[in-house]
Amino acid sequence: MLVVAGDLDHHTTPRLRAALEEVPFGPGADLVIDLSSLTFCDSTGIATLVAAHQRAHDAGGALLLAGLEQDIARVFHIMGLDQLLAFYDSPEEAVRAVKDRRESTT
Amino acid sequence: MPRKEPEVSTVEEAPGRPTAADSDEEARRQEAVRRYAALETASGGAFDRVAALAARIFHAPFATVTIVGDDRVRVIAAHGPSARRAIFRSPIAGSPFMESPVVESPVVVSLCAAAVRHDGPHAVSDALLHPGSAGDPAVRGEPGIRFHAAAPIVTPDGEPLGSVNVMDTRPREAGEEELACLRDLAGLVMDELQVRLVTQRTVEIERQLRAGAERLARTLQRTLLPPALPRVPGLRAAAAYHPVSADEVGGDFYDLFPLDGDRWGFFLGDVCGKGAGAASLTSLVRYTLRAAAVYDADPHAVLANLDAVLQQEHAGGDMPAPYCTAVFGVLQPDGDGFGVTLATGGHPPALAVRADGLVEPIHPAGGQLIGILRNPHFAQVSARLNAGDALLLYTDGLTEARTETGSMLDEDGLTAYLAAAGPTSADALLDTVHDLITDLGEGVSDDAAVLALSVPPATRSSFSGSQGAA
Repeated sequence: MLVVAGDLDHHTTPRLRAALEEVPFGPGADLVIDLSSLTFCDSTGIATLVAAHQRAHDAGGALLLAGLEQDIARVFHIMGLDQLLAFYDSPEEAVRAVKDRRESTT
Repeated sequence: MPRKEPEVSTVEEAPGRPTAADSDEEARRQEAVRRYAALETASGGAFDRVAALAARIFHAPFATVTIVGDDRVRVIAAHGPSARRAIFRSPIAGSPFMESPVVESPVVVSLCAAAVRHDGPHAVSDALLHPGSAGDPAVRGEPGIRFHAAAPIVTPDGEPLGSVNVMDTRPREAGEEELACLRDLAGLVMDELQVRLVTQRTVEIERQLRAGAERLARTLQRTLLPPALPRVPGLRAAAAYHPVSADEVGGDFYDLFPLDGDRWGFFLGDVCGKGAGAASLTSLVRYTLRAAAVYDADPHAVLANLDAVLQQEHAGGDMPAPYCTAVFGVLQPDGDGFGVTLATGGHPPALAVRADGLVEPIHPAGGQLIGILRNPHFAQVSARLNAGDALLLYTDGLTEARTETGSMLDEDGLTAYLAAAGPTSADALLDTVHDLITDLGEGVSDDAAVLALSVPPATRSSFSGSQGAA
């Protein structure tokens, strides 16, 4: 589980990108990002989340996003990202979904 | 007072007639004076303190810091009782410098002018007995200068700009220590002039860089937006760009252009990022959209083409993938209106303001970001613009603006604002959006581009067609 708080912009996104690069995605190795304290997300933040999703997908893992603020969720919806990324209302729900994934794959 | 025998001054005689070599030398010196802008700008507390110190060291009543121009000596600092008036009695009448510490004198004072010809500090023990200065009005008349010591202010490359001078009404000797101090004071004046020159150059370079960046930003912006929209028979079109910052290039773009036959293409979108990178990406997107539309004007195919080009552009790069959102549409004249086919990739819904005032989105569901996703989905929809209908395309700088309550304006807020304004035309729609952006004020944090299309109302009443899926 990764918790992202505050603004994700040109200045702060490199830190998230570096953190995500260290995540060993793989079958059964999924990541929940808790975004419930995210206040702003610009284009670099979006590009980083999309890249992490693709890397997780390629490795057979999954990236789950939890607790997205309503306005940011709306923007993600307009961009069609809700068809790509898995959104959950809370980190707990996302963690339950991770467990379900493991059970269904075993 | 008994007159002493003339003391041997520590100086050589003032040079005689200027030779060609002298005038070359003097031209170089004048160039240095101009370079340091010493005649125009040099003044201030630092020089006043140098003059005061010089007087104190010599226990002399007068001290000055002077710069020698080509036809005048300028006093940039003076110390002593009415020193300026006493020594330079002819300030230019009405000169703005009259009341300032800086006085210009049309009288070339031989003492100061001579100082710049010496390599180091020198002194004249009794000016009245010195052939170079005996004729000077300040020596012959009031205040009756007798003793004069000066150290030249010399640039690092050896050009003398002027001097630090000390004067007394009594003839006297100058000690070695005093002259050494005078030389150091002249060095301090040079250091100060040097700092001022560097500062001034830095400020000038900064100003030029900023002006260059602003000019580049404006030039880029012009290339990204069409200078004027073409006239489309039976259609009104208007567009506006609302930048948040005057010197930062945003990534919003739009265009309206002819296709084959009587069809017209239009688009509006937004690339990620800001600045020069976003500007070059915008340029690529704009030309790709126009070229793709010539190849195959089907809006879905145009966006798919753009996606392929952007993906290629990024291939192999480490930077975050560049992407954009866009609406691309084709207009086909149809009776007294137009058929519109729209495709969208990750862009907020276009809004139609119908002839009866109803505001409805013309938005194919599910269009995704362009240039960053694998196998993205671009959605397409067809609709009609009848007489009296208008269509608004906008970028998210408008809908993501914050209202007074701090919430996002969003599509709902924009819809309500347009509905309140009622049936409209392309130009009036732009005015409405302008009013909205003005109302939102500080709530707008990103550039917003808007493109409005409208079909003039028919003289007879007409009804809007309904929206249909592609």
